[in-house]
Amino acid sequence: MKKYVEDLNFQGEEYISDWPSWSPQDIRRKKCALESARLMVDAAMTAPFAGGVPSIEAHIVYGQEELEAVARKVEEIAHQQESWKEAFLYEAVMVRDSDVIIFLGNTRCHETPLDAGCGMCGGTLDCGYFYEQKTQKYGLVDITDRSSERMIDGPLCTARVGDLGYAVGSALWAAATLMVDARPFASMGMAGQKMGYCPKSGMVVGVPLAVKPKNPYVDVNVDYHLINMDKVLDNTRKIYQTARIIRGFDYRKWIPKPKKSEGPEGDDE
Amino acid sequence: MGHLIGKEYYLDHVIEVAKSIVLAIHKAPQITGKTKIEAEIIWGEDLEPIIEVMGPVAKVMRYIQWDYETIKKCYEKGESPVIINIGAKVSKSNLNWNCGACGHDTCKEFNAYSKEYKGGGQMGGPSCNWKVLDWAMACDWACASAWQYRVDNRIMGSVGFALHALGFLPDMDANIGLVLGPPRDMVYYNREEMHKSMSYEMDKQDMVNCVPTMFTAFPGGGTPMYKTKDDWWAPPEFMGIGYSEEAMEMYQQLLFEEVPEIVVKHADKIEARYKDKKK
Repeated sequence: MKKYVEDLNFQGEEYISDWPSWSPQDIRRKKCALESARLMVDAAMTAPFAGGVPSIEAHIVYGQEELEAVARKVEEIAHQQESWKEAFLYEAVMVRDSDVIIFLGNTRCHETPLDAGCGMCGGTLDCGYFYEQKTQKYGLVDITDRSSERMIDGPLCTARVGDLGYAVGSALWAAATLMVDARPFASMGMAGQKMGYCPKSGMVVGVPLAVKPKNPYVDVNVDYHLINMDKVLDNTRKIYQTARIIRGFDYRKWIPKPKKSEGPEGDDE
Repeated sequence: MGHLIGKEYYLDHVIEVAKSIVLAIHKAPQITGKTKIEAEIIWGEDLEPIIEVMGPVAKVMRYIQWDYETIKKCYEKGESPVIINIGAKVSKSNLNWNCGACGHDTCKEFNAYSKEYKGGGQMGGPSCNWKVLDWAMACDWACASAWQYRVDNRIMGSVGFALHALGFLPDMDANIGLVLGPPRDMVYYNREEMHKSMSYEMDKQDMVNCVPTMFTAFPGGGTPMYKTKDDWWAPPEFMGIGYSEEAMEMYQQLLFEEVPEIVVKHADKIEARYKDKKK
Protein backbone atom coordinates (compact mmCIF):
# COMPACT_ATOMS: atom_id res chain seq x y z
CA MET A 1 0.00 0.00 0.00
CA LYS A 2 1.30 3.46 -0.91
CA LYS A 3 2.02 5.52 2.16
CA TYR A 4 1.26 9.20 2.49
CA VAL A 5 4.55 11.10 2.38
CA GLU A 6 4.29 14.34 4.23
CA ASP A 7 5.75 17.39 2.53
CA LEU A 8 7.48 19.34 5.27
CA ASN A 9 8.89 22.02 2.98
CA PHE A 10 6.72 24.72 4.56
CA GLN A 11 8.00 28.06 3.37
CA GLY A 12 7.03 30.58 0.75
CA GLU A 13 5.20 33.81 0.09
CA GLU A 14 2.10 34.69 -1.86
CA TYR A 15 1.50 38.19 -3.13
CA ILE A 16 -2.23 38.76 -3.68
CA SER A 17 -3.96 41.73 -5.28
CA ASP A 18 -6.99 42.32 -7.48
CA TRP A 19 -5.05 44.46 -9.93
CA PRO A 20 -4.10 44.21 -12.73
CA SER A 21 -6.68 41.69 -13.85
CA TRP A 22 -5.30 38.26 -14.70
CA SER A 23 -1.84 39.16 -13.31
CA PRO A 24 -0.21 36.42 -11.17
CA GLN A 25 -1.35 38.21 -8.01
CA ASP A 26 -4.91 38.44 -9.32
CA ILE A 27 -4.95 34.78 -10.31
CA ARG A 28 -3.83 33.92 -6.76
CA ARG A 29 -6.81 35.92 -5.49
CA LYS A 30 -9.10 34.02 -7.84
CA LYS A 31 -7.72 30.76 -6.50
CA CYS A 32 -8.82 31.86 -3.01
CA ALA A 33 -12.29 32.42 -4.45
CA LEU A 34 -12.17 28.93 -5.94
CA GLU A 35 -11.48 27.50 -2.47
CA SER A 36 -14.57 29.33 -1.20
CA ALA A 37 -16.61 27.97 -4.10
CA ARG A 38 -15.64 24.42 -3.17
CA LEU A 39 -16.72 25.01 0.44
CA MET A 40 -19.99 26.48 -0.84
CA VAL A 41 -20.60 23.29 -2.80
CA ASP A 42 -19.93 21.30 0.39
CA ALA A 43 -22.67 23.32 2.08
CA ALA A 44 -25.04 22.80 -0.87
CA MET A 45 -24.54 19.05 -0.77
CA THR A 46 -25.41 18.87 2.94
CA ALA A 47 -28.57 21.04 2.76
CA PRO A 48 -31.81 19.52 4.09
CA PHE A 49 -33.57 17.56 1.33
CA ALA A 50 -37.02 15.95 1.24
CA GLY A 51 -36.56 12.37 2.40
CA GLY A 52 -32.77 12.81 2.51
CA VAL A 53 -32.68 11.84 -1.16
CA PRO A 54 -29.53 12.75 -3.16
CA SER A 55 -30.57 14.93 -6.09
CA ILE A 56 -28.08 17.77 -6.38
CA GLU A 57 -25.17 18.09 -8.80
CA ALA A 58 -22.73 20.96 -9.08
CA HIS A 59 -20.36 22.38 -11.65
CA ILE A 60 -17.68 24.89 -10.71
CA VAL A 61 -16.60 27.03 -13.66
CA TYR A 62 -13.73 29.53 -13.80
CA GLY A 63 -11.27 31.06 -16.25
CA GLN A 64 -11.43 33.97 -18.67
CA GLU A 65 -12.69 32.02 -21.69
CA GLU A 66 -15.14 29.96 -19.67
CA LEU A 67 -16.79 32.96 -17.99
CA GLU A 68 -16.89 34.88 -21.28
CA ALA A 69 -18.75 31.96 -22.87
CA VAL A 70 -21.31 31.99 -20.04
CA ALA A 71 -21.71 35.77 -20.34
CA ARG A 72 -22.35 35.51 -24.07
CA LYS A 73 -24.92 32.77 -23.54
CA VAL A 74 -26.72 34.94 -20.98
CA GLU A 75 -26.72 37.78 -23.54
CA GLU A 76 -28.10 35.44 -26.20
CA ILE A 77 -30.94 34.36 -23.89
CA ALA A 78 -31.61 37.98 -22.89
CA HIS A 79 -32.61 38.83 -26.44
CA GLN A 80 -35.07 35.94 -26.67
CA GLN A 81 -37.66 37.61 -24.47
CA GLU A 82 -38.45 41.23 -23.71
CA SER A 83 -39.13 40.52 -20.02
CA TRP A 84 -35.63 39.09 -19.61
CA LYS A 85 -33.72 41.55 -21.75
CA GLU A 86 -32.58 44.35 -19.49
CA ALA A 87 -32.01 42.34 -16.30
CA PHE A 88 -30.21 39.51 -18.09
CA LEU A 89 -27.95 41.95 -19.99
CA TYR A 90 -26.98 43.50 -16.66
CA GLU A 91 -26.32 40.02 -15.28
CA ALA A 92 -24.02 39.14 -18.19
CA VAL A 93 -21.81 42.00 -17.00
CA MET A 94 -21.83 40.43 -13.54
CA VAL A 95 -20.65 37.12 -15.02
CA ARG A 96 -17.58 38.86 -16.47
CA ASP A 97 -16.97 40.56 -13.11
CA SER A 98 -17.10 37.23 -11.22
CA ASP A 99 -14.18 35.04 -10.19
CA VAL A 100 -16.00 31.71 -10.23
CA ILE A 101 -19.50 30.48 -11.07
CA ILE A 102 -21.14 27.56 -9.32
CA PHE A 103 -23.96 25.85 -11.17
CA LEU A 104 -26.29 23.86 -8.97
CA GLY A 105 -28.88 21.59 -10.52
CA ASN A 106 -31.51 19.09 -9.47
CA THR A 107 -31.18 15.74 -11.23
CA ARG A 108 -34.61 14.42 -10.24
CA CYS A 109 -37.11 17.25 -10.72
CA HIS A 110 -37.83 16.27 -14.36
CA GLU A 111 -37.37 12.51 -14.16
CA THR A 112 -37.73 10.95 -10.70
CA PRO A 113 -40.17 13.05 -8.63
CA LEU A 114 -40.74 12.73 -4.90
CA ASP A 115 -44.02 10.90 -5.69
CA ALA A 116 -45.53 12.05 -2.39
CA GLY A 117 -48.70 13.52 -3.86
CA CYS A 118 -48.05 16.91 -2.25
CA GLY A 119 -49.81 18.77 -5.08
CA MET A 120 -47.36 21.66 -5.11
CA CYS A 121 -46.81 21.32 -8.88
CA GLY A 122 -50.39 21.39 -10.10
CA GLY A 123 -52.68 21.84 -7.13
CA THR A 124 -54.05 18.31 -7.28
CA LEU A 125 -54.21 15.52 -4.68
CA ASP A 126 -51.79 13.28 -6.55
CA CYS A 127 -48.78 13.47 -8.91
CA GLY A 128 -50.99 13.27 -12.03
CA TYR A 129 -50.29 16.85 -13.10
CA PHE A 130 -46.61 15.97 -13.56
CA TYR A 131 -46.92 12.49 -15.08
CA GLU A 132 -49.76 13.33 -17.48
CA GLN A 133 -47.56 15.85 -19.25
CA LYS A 134 -44.52 13.56 -19.51
CA THR A 135 -43.59 10.73 -21.84
CA GLN A 136 -43.66 7.89 -19.33
CA LYS A 137 -44.48 4.25 -18.72
CA TYR A 138 -45.65 3.07 -15.31
CA GLY A 139 -44.20 6.16 -13.71
CA LEU A 140 -40.80 5.88 -15.35
CA VAL A 141 -40.20 9.11 -17.26
CA ASP A 142 -38.49 8.89 -20.65
CA ILE A 143 -36.15 11.89 -20.86
CA THR A 144 -34.27 10.77 -23.97
CA ASP A 145 -35.94 13.40 -26.15
CA ARG A 146 -34.23 16.48 -24.79
CA SER A 147 -35.61 18.89 -27.38
CA SER A 148 -37.97 21.51 -25.99
CA GLU A 149 -39.46 24.72 -27.25
CA ARG A 150 -39.47 26.03 -23.72
CA MET A 151 -36.44 27.35 -21.89
CA ILE A 152 -37.14 24.81 -19.14
CA ASP A 153 -38.89 21.57 -20.04
CA GLY A 154 -41.61 21.57 -17.39
CA PRO A 155 -43.60 20.57 -15.53
CA LEU A 156 -41.11 19.75 -12.81
CA CYS A 157 -41.55 18.11 -9.44
CA THR A 158 -41.91 21.19 -7.25
CA ALA A 159 -40.73 19.33 -4.15
CA ARG A 160 -37.45 18.59 -5.94
CA VAL A 161 -37.24 22.22 -7.09
CA GLY A 162 -37.61 23.10 -3.42
CA ASP A 163 -34.63 20.85 -2.67
CA LEU A 164 -32.62 22.81 -5.22
CA GLY A 165 -33.60 25.99 -3.41
CA TYR A 166 -32.31 24.55 -0.13
CA ALA A 167 -29.01 23.65 -1.84
CA VAL A 168 -28.64 27.15 -3.29
CA GLY A 169 -29.57 28.63 0.08
CA SER A 170 -26.89 26.62 1.87
CA ALA A 171 -24.26 27.61 -0.72
CA LEU A 172 -25.17 31.25 -0.15
CA TRP A 173 -25.15 30.83 3.62
CA ALA A 174 -21.61 29.43 3.34
CA ALA A 175 -20.62 32.38 1.14
CA ALA A 176 -22.01 34.82 3.70
CA THR A 177 -20.12 33.03 6.47
CA LEU A 178 -16.90 33.18 4.44
CA MET A 179 -17.52 36.87 3.63
CA VAL A 180 -17.36 36.31 -0.12
CA ASP A 181 -19.90 37.99 -2.39
CA ALA A 182 -22.37 35.68 -4.13
CA ARG A 183 -25.92 35.85 -5.50
CA PRO A 184 -28.28 33.35 -7.15
CA PHE A 185 -29.35 33.98 -10.75
CA ALA A 186 -31.94 32.40 -13.06
CA SER A 187 -30.25 33.85 -16.16
CA MET A 188 -26.94 32.16 -15.43
CA GLY A 189 -28.69 28.95 -14.49
CA MET A 190 -30.57 28.83 -17.80
CA ALA A 191 -27.37 29.69 -19.70
CA GLY A 192 -25.37 27.05 -17.83
CA GLN A 193 -28.02 24.41 -18.47
CA LYS A 194 -28.09 25.20 -22.20
CA MET A 195 -24.27 25.00 -22.26
CA GLY A 196 -24.37 21.51 -20.76
CA TYR A 197 -23.34 22.28 -17.21
CA CYS A 198 -25.09 20.09 -14.61
CA PRO A 199 -25.89 17.69 -17.46
CA LYS A 200 -28.32 15.48 -15.56
CA SER A 201 -30.45 18.31 -14.17
CA GLY A 202 -33.92 19.50 -15.10
CA MET A 203 -33.39 22.90 -13.52
CA VAL A 204 -30.17 24.80 -12.83
CA VAL A 205 -29.35 27.92 -10.80
CA GLY A 206 -26.14 29.92 -11.30
CA VAL A 207 -24.35 31.24 -8.24
CA PRO A 208 -21.44 33.50 -9.22
CA LEU A 209 -19.02 34.61 -6.55
CA ALA A 210 -16.38 37.25 -6.33
CA VAL A 211 -13.69 38.27 -3.88
CA LYS A 212 -13.33 41.94 -4.76
CA PRO A 213 -13.48 45.28 -2.96
CA LYS A 214 -16.86 45.99 -4.60
CA ASN A 215 -19.61 43.41 -4.64
CA PRO A 216 -20.34 42.98 -8.39
CA TYR A 217 -23.96 41.92 -7.86
CA VAL A 218 -25.39 45.01 -6.14
CA ASP A 219 -25.46 48.78 -6.62
CA VAL A 220 -25.64 48.71 -10.41
CA ASN A 221 -26.31 51.80 -12.49
CA VAL A 222 -28.83 52.28 -15.28
CA ASP A 223 -27.76 50.78 -18.62
CA TYR A 224 -25.28 48.64 -16.76
CA HIS A 225 -24.54 46.62 -19.88
CA LEU A 226 -23.28 49.85 -21.50
CA ILE A 227 -21.74 51.59 -18.51
CA ASN A 228 -19.65 49.32 -16.29
CA MET A 229 -16.04 48.97 -15.18
CA ASP A 230 -14.91 47.10 -18.31
CA LYS A 231 -16.50 49.73 -20.52
CA VAL A 232 -15.15 52.59 -18.41
CA LEU A 233 -11.63 51.20 -18.69
CA ASP A 234 -12.02 50.62 -22.41
CA ASN A 235 -13.31 54.15 -22.86
CA THR A 236 -10.29 55.44 -20.97
CA ARG A 237 -8.11 53.60 -23.44
CA LYS A 238 -10.13 55.14 -26.26
CA ILE A 239 -10.08 58.76 -24.98
CA TYR A 240 -6.73 59.13 -23.32
CA GLN A 241 -4.64 58.19 -26.35
CA THR A 242 -6.26 60.87 -28.45
CA ALA A 243 -5.91 63.41 -25.66
CA ARG A 244 -2.11 62.83 -25.81
CA ILE A 245 -1.96 63.20 -29.55
CA ILE A 246 -3.54 66.64 -29.69
CA ARG A 247 -0.88 68.21 -27.41
CA GLY A 248 2.52 66.75 -28.09
CA PHE A 249 5.97 68.03 -27.08
CA ASP A 250 9.54 66.75 -26.81
CA TYR A 251 9.82 66.16 -23.06
CA ARG A 252 13.64 66.11 -23.33
CA LYS A 253 13.67 69.76 -24.38
CA TRP A 254 10.66 71.35 -22.74
CA ILE A 255 7.91 70.37 -20.27
CA PRO A 256 5.13 72.82 -19.56
CA LYS A 257 5.01 73.97 -15.92
CA PRO A 258 2.48 75.90 -13.85
CA LYS A 259 2.98 79.60 -14.18
CA LYS A 260 4.70 81.05 -11.05
CA SER A 261 6.12 84.37 -12.30
CA GLU A 262 6.22 86.63 -15.31
CA GLY A 263 7.72 85.13 -18.41
CA PRO A 264 6.93 82.41 -20.91
CA GLU A 265 5.14 79.29 -19.54
CA GLY A 266 7.59 76.55 -18.48
CA ASP A 267 10.52 78.97 -18.48
CA ASP A 268 10.66 79.63 -14.71
CA GLU A 269 14.20 78.41 -14.28
CA MET B 1 -27.06 40.90 39.29
CA GLY B 2 -28.87 37.70 38.61
CA HIS B 3 -28.74 33.96 38.46
CA LEU B 4 -30.26 31.63 35.87
CA ILE B 5 -30.34 27.90 36.44
CA GLY B 6 -32.57 24.99 35.49
CA LYS B 7 -34.85 24.61 32.48
CA GLU B 8 -37.36 27.39 33.14
CA TYR B 9 -35.71 30.02 30.96
CA TYR B 10 -35.01 27.67 28.02
CA LEU B 11 -38.34 28.22 26.29
CA ASP B 12 -38.07 32.01 26.59
CA HIS B 13 -34.64 31.90 25.05
CA VAL B 14 -35.62 29.54 22.20
CA ILE B 15 -38.38 32.06 21.39
CA GLU B 16 -35.73 34.81 21.30
CA VAL B 17 -33.59 32.66 19.01
CA ALA B 18 -36.66 32.06 16.83
CA LYS B 19 -37.01 35.83 16.43
CA SER B 20 -33.41 36.00 15.18
CA ILE B 21 -34.10 33.12 12.79
CA VAL B 22 -37.08 35.03 11.38
CA LEU B 23 -34.68 37.89 10.61
CA ALA B 24 -32.53 35.41 8.64
CA ILE B 25 -35.66 34.23 6.77
CA HIS B 26 -36.32 37.77 5.61
CA LYS B 27 -32.63 38.42 4.88
CA ALA B 28 -32.29 35.32 2.67
CA PRO B 29 -31.33 36.11 -0.94
CA GLN B 30 -33.93 35.69 -3.67
CA ILE B 31 -33.56 34.98 -7.37
CA THR B 32 -36.66 36.90 -8.42
CA GLY B 33 -36.65 39.54 -5.70
CA LYS B 34 -40.45 39.41 -6.02
CA THR B 35 -41.50 36.54 -3.76
CA LYS B 36 -43.53 37.53 -0.74
CA ILE B 37 -42.48 35.65 2.37
CA GLU B 38 -43.92 35.79 5.87
CA ALA B 39 -43.07 33.99 9.09
CA GLU B 40 -44.67 33.55 12.49
CA ILE B 41 -43.58 31.93 15.75
CA ILE B 42 -45.87 29.48 17.57
CA TRP B 43 -45.39 27.70 20.91
CA GLY B 44 -47.16 26.43 24.02
CA GLU B 45 -50.93 25.97 23.87
CA ASP B 46 -51.03 27.33 20.33
CA LEU B 47 -49.33 24.10 19.22
CA GLU B 48 -52.36 22.06 20.23
CA PRO B 49 -54.42 22.47 17.01
CA ILE B 50 -51.32 21.65 14.95
CA ILE B 51 -50.67 18.50 16.97
CA GLU B 52 -54.36 17.60 16.73
CA VAL B 53 -54.43 17.85 12.92
CA MET B 54 -51.25 15.78 12.61
CA GLY B 55 -52.82 13.03 14.75
CA PRO B 56 -55.11 11.34 12.19
CA VAL B 57 -52.55 11.81 9.38
CA ALA B 58 -49.98 10.06 11.55
CA LYS B 59 -52.10 6.91 11.37
CA VAL B 60 -51.47 6.54 7.63
CA MET B 61 -48.09 8.24 7.13
CA ARG B 62 -45.11 6.90 9.03
CA TYR B 63 -43.00 10.06 8.64
CA ILE B 64 -45.85 12.18 9.95
CA GLN B 65 -46.30 9.75 12.83
CA TRP B 66 -42.66 10.27 13.80
CA ASP B 67 -42.95 14.07 13.68
CA TYR B 68 -46.34 14.04 15.42
CA GLU B 69 -45.33 11.83 18.31
CA THR B 70 -42.01 13.60 18.87
CA ILE B 71 -43.64 17.04 19.03
CA LYS B 72 -46.58 15.76 21.10
CA LYS B 73 -44.44 13.95 23.64
CA CYS B 74 -42.11 16.92 24.08
CA TYR B 75 -45.10 19.24 24.54
CA GLU B 76 -46.85 16.93 26.99
CA LYS B 77 -43.84 16.67 29.26
CA GLY B 78 -43.52 20.43 29.46
CA GLU B 79 -40.75 20.89 26.89
CA SER B 80 -42.71 22.80 24.28
CA PRO B 81 -41.06 22.96 20.88
CA VAL B 82 -41.19 26.34 19.15
CA ILE B 83 -42.46 26.27 15.58
CA ILE B 84 -41.64 28.85 12.95
CA ASN B 85 -44.21 28.83 10.17
CA ILE B 86 -42.51 29.98 6.97
CA GLY B 87 -45.08 30.94 4.36
CA ALA B 88 -44.78 32.22 0.82
CA LYS B 89 -46.95 33.37 -2.01
CA VAL B 90 -46.00 31.05 -4.85
CA SER B 91 -49.19 30.27 -6.73
CA LYS B 92 -49.17 33.36 -8.94
CA SER B 93 -46.37 34.53 -11.22
CA ASN B 94 -45.68 38.22 -11.65
CA LEU B 95 -42.44 37.49 -13.51
CA ASN B 96 -43.62 37.15 -17.12
CA TRP B 97 -40.53 35.01 -17.76
CA ASN B 98 -42.52 32.38 -19.70
CA CYS B 99 -39.79 29.84 -18.92
CA GLY B 100 -41.99 26.73 -19.04
CA ALA B 101 -40.80 25.21 -15.74
CA CYS B 102 -44.39 25.00 -14.44
CA GLY B 103 -45.57 23.11 -17.53
CA HIS B 104 -47.26 26.06 -19.20
CA ASP B 105 -45.92 28.05 -22.15
CA THR B 106 -46.53 31.41 -20.52
CA CYS B 107 -46.94 32.87 -17.04
CA LYS B 108 -50.36 34.12 -18.16
CA GLU B 109 -51.49 30.55 -18.90
CA PHE B 110 -50.09 29.39 -15.57
CA ASN B 111 -51.94 32.12 -13.70
CA ALA B 112 -55.22 31.19 -15.39
CA TYR B 113 -54.69 27.51 -14.48
CA SER B 114 -53.65 28.42 -10.96
CA LYS B 115 -56.73 30.53 -10.42
CA GLU B 116 -58.85 27.45 -11.06
CA TYR B 117 -56.84 24.87 -9.10
CA LYS B 118 -55.32 27.00 -6.34
CA GLY B 119 -54.89 25.19 -3.05
CA GLY B 120 -56.04 21.83 -4.39
CA GLY B 121 -53.01 19.89 -3.20
CA GLN B 122 -52.19 18.67 0.28
CA MET B 123 -49.46 21.31 0.47
CA GLY B 124 -51.19 23.91 -1.70
CA GLY B 125 -50.07 24.34 -5.30
CA PRO B 126 -49.89 25.03 -8.20
CA SER B 127 -46.56 26.81 -7.90
CA CYS B 128 -44.23 29.03 -9.88
CA ASN B 129 -40.96 27.12 -9.57
CA TRP B 130 -38.80 30.25 -9.32
CA LYS B 131 -40.90 31.46 -6.42
CA VAL B 132 -40.61 28.06 -4.77
CA LEU B 133 -36.82 28.37 -5.16
CA ASP B 134 -36.92 31.74 -3.38
CA TRP B 135 -39.09 30.29 -0.62
CA ALA B 136 -36.84 27.25 -0.26
CA MET B 137 -33.78 29.49 0.08
CA ALA B 138 -35.51 31.36 2.91
CA CYS B 139 -36.38 28.04 4.57
CA ASP B 140 -32.78 26.91 4.19
CA TRP B 141 -31.52 30.11 5.78
CA ALA B 142 -33.88 29.44 8.66
CA CYS B 143 -32.37 25.96 9.14
CA ALA B 144 -28.81 27.23 8.78
CA SER B 145 -29.53 30.01 11.24
CA ALA B 146 -30.97 27.54 13.76
CA TRP B 147 -27.87 25.37 13.48
CA GLN B 148 -25.71 28.44 13.98
CA TYR B 149 -27.50 28.99 17.30
CA ARG B 150 -26.98 25.30 18.12
CA VAL B 151 -30.71 24.70 18.63
CA ASP B 152 -31.93 21.28 17.58
CA ASN B 153 -34.27 21.75 14.64
CA ARG B 154 -35.93 20.09 11.68
CA ILE B 155 -37.87 21.52 8.78
CA MET B 156 -41.13 19.53 8.50
CA GLY B 157 -43.60 19.19 5.67
CA SER B 158 -45.88 17.37 8.12
CA VAL B 159 -46.18 20.50 10.24
CA GLY B 160 -46.54 22.54 7.04
CA PHE B 161 -49.54 20.41 6.09
CA ALA B 162 -51.20 21.11 9.45
CA LEU B 163 -50.42 24.84 9.31
CA HIS B 164 -51.81 25.04 5.77
CA ALA B 165 -54.96 23.11 6.64
CA LEU B 166 -55.61 25.23 9.74
CA GLY B 167 -55.23 28.50 7.85
CA PHE B 168 -52.14 29.87 9.55
CA LEU B 169 -50.70 32.84 7.61
CA PRO B 170 -53.84 33.06 5.47
CA ASP B 171 -52.29 35.49 2.97
CA MET B 172 -49.65 32.91 2.02
CA ASP B 173 -50.36 29.87 -0.13
CA ALA B 174 -47.47 27.60 0.89
CA ASN B 175 -46.36 26.80 4.43
CA ILE B 176 -43.68 24.74 6.08
CA GLY B 177 -42.77 24.38 9.74
CA LEU B 178 -39.30 24.70 11.23
CA VAL B 179 -39.48 23.02 14.62
CA LEU B 180 -36.98 24.25 17.23
CA GLY B 181 -35.92 22.81 20.55
CA PRO B 182 -36.33 21.65 23.26
CA PRO B 183 -32.65 22.26 23.87
CA ARG B 184 -31.27 18.75 23.69
CA ASP B 185 -29.14 16.94 21.13
CA MET B 186 -30.87 15.17 18.25
CA VAL B 187 -34.51 15.57 19.32
CA TYR B 188 -35.66 15.29 15.70
CA TYR B 189 -33.00 12.95 14.30
CA ASN B 190 -32.16 10.01 16.53
CA ARG B 191 -35.52 10.69 18.21
CA GLU B 192 -35.23 9.58 21.79
CA GLU B 193 -38.94 10.36 22.15
CA MET B 194 -39.68 7.49 19.77
CA HIS B 195 -37.51 4.88 21.47
CA LYS B 196 -39.35 1.64 22.22
CA SER B 197 -42.31 2.73 20.07
CA MET B 198 -41.49 0.31 17.28
CA SER B 199 -40.95 -3.42 17.48
CA TYR B 200 -38.26 -5.26 15.57
CA GLU B 201 -40.97 -6.94 13.49
CA MET B 202 -42.58 -3.60 12.54
CA ASP B 203 -39.21 -2.17 11.55
CA LYS B 204 -38.39 -5.22 9.45
CA GLN B 205 -41.82 -5.21 7.78
CA ASP B 206 -41.37 -1.53 6.90
CA MET B 207 -38.10 -2.39 5.17
CA VAL B 208 -39.75 -5.24 3.25
CA ASN B 209 -42.54 -2.87 2.16
CA CYS B 210 -40.28 0.05 1.28
CA VAL B 211 -37.14 -1.62 -0.09
CA PRO B 212 -38.40 -4.95 -1.49
CA THR B 213 -35.34 -5.38 -3.73
CA MET B 214 -33.31 -6.11 -0.60
CA PHE B 215 -35.47 -9.16 0.08
CA THR B 216 -35.99 -10.50 -3.44
CA ALA B 217 -34.86 -14.08 -4.09
CA PHE B 218 -33.81 -15.40 -7.52
CA PRO B 219 -35.91 -13.44 -10.03
CA GLY B 220 -35.32 -15.75 -13.00
CA GLY B 221 -38.68 -17.48 -12.66
CA GLY B 222 -40.57 -14.22 -13.10
CA THR B 223 -42.45 -14.38 -9.78
CA PRO B 224 -39.69 -14.32 -7.18
CA MET B 225 -40.00 -15.46 -3.60
CA TYR B 226 -39.36 -12.91 -0.89
CA LYS B 227 -36.92 -13.59 1.96
CA THR B 228 -39.04 -12.27 4.80
CA LYS B 229 -37.90 -14.79 7.44
CA ASP B 230 -34.83 -16.84 8.22
CA ASP B 231 -36.19 -20.01 6.58
CA TRP B 232 -37.72 -18.05 3.74
CA TRP B 233 -38.09 -21.08 1.50
CA ALA B 234 -40.33 -23.05 3.85
CA PRO B 235 -42.99 -22.12 2.92
CA PRO B 236 -42.03 -19.31 0.49
CA GLU B 237 -43.81 -15.92 0.41
CA PHE B 238 -44.67 -13.81 -2.64
CA MET B 239 -45.34 -10.10 -3.12
CA GLY B 240 -48.85 -9.01 -4.01
CA ILE B 241 -49.62 -5.73 -5.77
CA GLY B 242 -53.13 -4.41 -6.10
CA TYR B 243 -55.59 -1.63 -5.41
CA SER B 244 -56.32 -1.30 -1.71
CA GLU B 245 -59.83 -0.15 -1.03
CA GLU B 246 -59.06 -0.10 2.67
CA ALA B 247 -56.01 2.16 2.26
CA MET B 248 -57.82 4.53 -0.08
CA GLU B 249 -60.86 4.73 2.17
CA MET B 250 -58.69 5.56 5.12
CA TYR B 251 -56.93 8.24 3.04
CA GLN B 252 -60.21 9.76 1.85
CA GLN B 253 -61.72 9.69 5.33
CA LEU B 254 -58.66 11.37 6.71
CA LEU B 255 -58.47 14.17 4.13
CA PHE B 256 -62.17 14.84 3.71
CA GLU B 257 -63.60 14.06 7.13
CA GLU B 258 -61.18 13.85 10.06
CA VAL B 259 -58.86 16.74 9.19
CA PRO B 260 -61.67 19.13 8.15
CA GLU B 261 -63.51 18.37 11.42
CA ILE B 262 -60.49 19.41 13.46
CA VAL B 263 -59.88 22.43 11.22
CA VAL B 264 -63.46 23.65 11.69
CA LYS B 265 -63.05 23.35 15.46
CA HIS B 266 -60.08 25.73 15.48
CA ALA B 267 -60.61 27.83 12.36
CA ASP B 268 -62.44 30.80 13.93
CA LYS B 269 -59.89 31.29 16.68
CA ILE B 270 -56.97 31.10 14.25
CA GLU B 271 -58.66 33.38 11.71
CA ALA B 272 -59.49 35.92 14.39
CA ARG B 273 -55.84 36.19 15.35
CA TYR B 274 -54.92 37.55 11.91
CA LYS B 275 -57.95 39.82 11.77
CA ASP B 276 -56.98 41.27 15.15
CA LYS B 277 -53.42 41.88 13.93
CA LYS B 278 -54.69 43.75 10.87
CA LYS B 279 -56.74 46.15 12.99
